[in-house]
Amino acid sequence: MIGLDTALGEITLVLFTTLAPAGAMALLLMGLPILSGRASWAEVRRISTYLCLPLIVSMVGLVASATHLGSPANALYVFAAVGSSPLSNEVLCAVIFLMLGGLYWLYSFRRAPSPRLLRLWIGAIDLAALAFIAAVGLAYSARTIISWNLWEVPVAIAANALMGGPLVALASYAVGRCTSLTARRAKGLAALAAGALAASVAVYGLQGVDLGSVGNAVASVTDLVPAYGAAVAAFALLGAGGIVIAWRATRNLPADGTPPEGAIRYQLVGRLCTAAALGLAAIFVMRFCFYLAHLTVGLGV
Amino acid sequence: MAQLGFFFDGSRCTGCKTCVVACKDGFDLGVGVAFRRVYECVEGRTEKDGAGICSTTCRVFYLSLGCNHCSRPVCIEVCPTQAMAKDEATGLVAVNTRKCIGCGYCHLACPYNAPQVDKSRGHSVKCEGCPDRLAAGEAPLCVLACPARALGFGTAEAMAARGERAATPPLPPAEETCPNLYIKPSRDGRAAGDGVAIGNVAETR
Repeated sequence: MIGLDTALGEITLVLFTTLAPAGAMALLLMGLPILSGRASWAEVRRISTYLCLPLIVSMVGLVASATHLGSPANALYVFAAVGSSPLSNEVLCAVIFLMLGGLYWLYSFRRAPSPRLLRLWIGAIDLAALAFIAAVGLAYSARTIISWNLWEVPVAIAANALMGGPLVALASYAVGRCTSLTARRAKGLAALAAGALAASVAVYGLQGVDLGSVGNAVASVTDLVPAYGAAVAAFALLGAGGIVIAWRATRNLPADGTPPEGAIRYQLVGRLCTAAALGLAAIFVMRFCFYLAHLTVGLGV
Repeated sequence: MAQLGFFFDGSRCTGCKTCVVACKDGFDLGVGVAFRRVYECVEGRTEKDGAGICSTTCRVFYLSLGCNHCSRPVCIEVCPTQAMAKDEATGLVAVNTRKCIGCGYCHLACPYNAPQVDKSRGHSVKCEGCPDRLAAGEAPLCVLACPARALGFGTAEAMAARGERAATPPLPPAEETCPNLYIKPSRDGRAAGDGVAIGNVAETR
């Protein structure tokens, strides 16, 4: 398979585009109780502490993406092309998001952080997260790459983030024993993930139709990704599996969010981490297909 | 700026790949790295009838291709570090290795498969038009080496007088990147349509 070289060569970017947008969306969703001002002060401190989990998910993605660079020592030059290169825009947005998130996390450990400042800061992080997800989606819009320069690509990135993000947020709440993890909120997050899964499948279906006629003198997309339909099916199954596990694990949680103790707690954490892993695995499958399908007008594969 | 460019005479090219070897030798390029490639372009099919007689509509022609130092270079558009740049005096596109991070986006975006990341060097590499030879008043190595004199190099204006701008299938429409490659197609190349496929994919990757 010709495209396998590209996909395996860019495997770290597959990881990056899987983890980073989902982590950013998870951080946004997890911080909503702080932004809305409904969380108690103790809960604000707890959520702030465990916001590091989605931040780590995003950061692992970013570190993975840096490993594919031939000369990472020159990376600061990336800021020279902000505004003209979509890749520079993506890196700038990533740096702003991770810097805001990291500094917030450090600040939250102060003995008496300002509640007002924390809320404002979370609002800024949320805006940065949205900009980052949009920038990741647009980073591949090069006019000559005919299999990537499609409207479905940024939409799929956003829909995938909305599917994986809630699952990562649920797992992070459970690990942090946050009282914000109520049955109602868990149901809402699972519903959001389910809606995003349905939207993702629809977008991938339309993308498959568009890609069906795309090819150049070297190969066609149907040659490069012969099992596209099977990959979409695997995506749907893995994603649905994760959502069902998350929903079943959280449906009997107490309404006031009192975290379970002992073995039940470990069971809840285990099941929600499994759900998040399944959601991320689903996204990974389609991101791999994305790199498999690389094709330019002319002779590039 | 006097934009420089290549001329390729498809009616002379025999597909011997001396241009490829001369370039690799001159720049000491390892296995898997090439600044110029010769594509074997194939169209049509060969069939056997009930009586076992074969007939064919196949036509094969060659295309020697390096960087076309485009006037609308997509590699420069996507480069995140501005390492890929056009020389103001010659219009030749070159990689500033002190800025390149080796991300490979130029390779992914180029429709002529010209830049590639040399893993051992950690940055993009490509045909830069043999600037040292040009400064000495000599032709690029590939042009000098071609035994059939199928390659030419000079100002885009002079090359345009000898052929059409990237007019042979399977190249993309010239308006995509405005390549400074001018071609006199072979008879088969002139007759070729959209069904042209590359016959030596593994060799030219």
